[in-house]
Amino acid sequence: MKRHFITASLASMIAATPALAHYGMIIPNDPMISQEDGRSVALTMSFSHPFEMDGMMLDTPVAFSVTHEGTTTDLLGDLEGATVMDDQGYTLDYPLDRPGTYIFAMEPQPYWEPAEDAFIIHYTKTYVTAYGDDEGWDTELGLKTEIVPLSKPFGLWEHNVFQGIVKMDGEAVPYAEVEVEFFNDGVGATVPDELMITQTVKADANGVFTYAPPSDGWWGFAALNTADYTLVEETSGEEKAVELGAVVWVHFEEWTGQ
Amino acid sequence: MDRTVIRAIALASICAVAPMGAAAHQLTVFATTDCEMVTVEAKFSNGNPVMLADVRVLDGNNTLLLTLPINEDGTVAVPLDSVDHSGGLVIEVDTGSHENYWIVTPDDIARSCQS
Repeated sequence: MKRHFITASLASMIAATPALAHYGMIIPNDPMISQEDGRSVALTMSFSHPFEMDGMMLDTPVAFSVTHEGTTTDLLGDLEGATVMDDQGYTLDYPLDRPGTYIFAMEPQPYWEPAEDAFIIHYTKTYVTAYGDDEGWDTELGLKTEIVPLSKPFGLWEHNVFQGIVKMDGEAVPYAEVEVEFFNDGVGATVPDELMITQTVKADANGVFTYAPPSDGWWGFAALNTADYTLVEETSGEEKAVELGAVVWVHFEEWTGQ
Repeated sequence: MDRTVIRAIALASICAVAPMGAAAHQLTVFATTDCEMVTVEAKFSNGNPVMLADVRVLDGNNTLLLTLPINEDGTVAVPLDSVDHSGGLVIEVDTGSHENYWIVTPDDIARSCQS
């Protein structure tokens, strides 16, 4: 059977179609910082189509924080503007003073997406462990919507499953749809069909979903639900729906065995 | 089955399983300095503090300077003026069955003395 492989560049041409997924992104230089790596983590924040490496403008977020050992610290004022995937994003070099899991979380401004006739707000988070201590890996932040890890969200081998529970207002979301996409940074991955750029799994009745990636690298999980409120779109003055995304980024490591 | 054979199988099973179970409790070692003291913390991956261990302090050339017993709360303090820390320090914690280390770099010490 002849297969039509779509490259990242070709995929970027169809990025404007509503079928392709938007992702808030918080990508650290390393999800597992050892003492040999230094005493800080370098973070890059963006809003993008990660498979196509197609950036969109990320306005100054509403909130950006880190949670460690039960304490949440506001880092919004520490973000530095940067160009990420040819568009506006942010970077942050954050000192890791103690061992444990640091959870970085971002609430962006509502993004108006005319193609979907809706606003998009992706509550995005990434877990980073420091100095060999994974305590806190399953921390729930209490965001409006979030994916709470049931698998440790770092230190996973490629092909391991990642499991999480989709929550909205602290409650599990039965049968929530979770979109999964690969961050195609420097990899040049191709797909045999554009349907495979973003894969979709559904949670079960308890809001639990499972996914096993085909390769190592960064994988984004976005559980999408419609908010129970609307926002006014300035141009039309009309009330529009709001898509709330619970996004978590998980890095899978290359299997090093024979 | 002969009882002797059963005991032999059981003993072999325990021997095979015990080291794996112990290894699952990874040891985490961390140290901070405030320019006067190095405070060493050691705990297992389940969060429990290490209650019995030797803490070895080595200089940047890997020469042993001090050996101290760890406190029951999994910490021990090392006065900086009691050791030559010019090349940094290596803190080793050895429980007998688990061992790990933390490197206090000259930069770590310099930063703590500036703040």
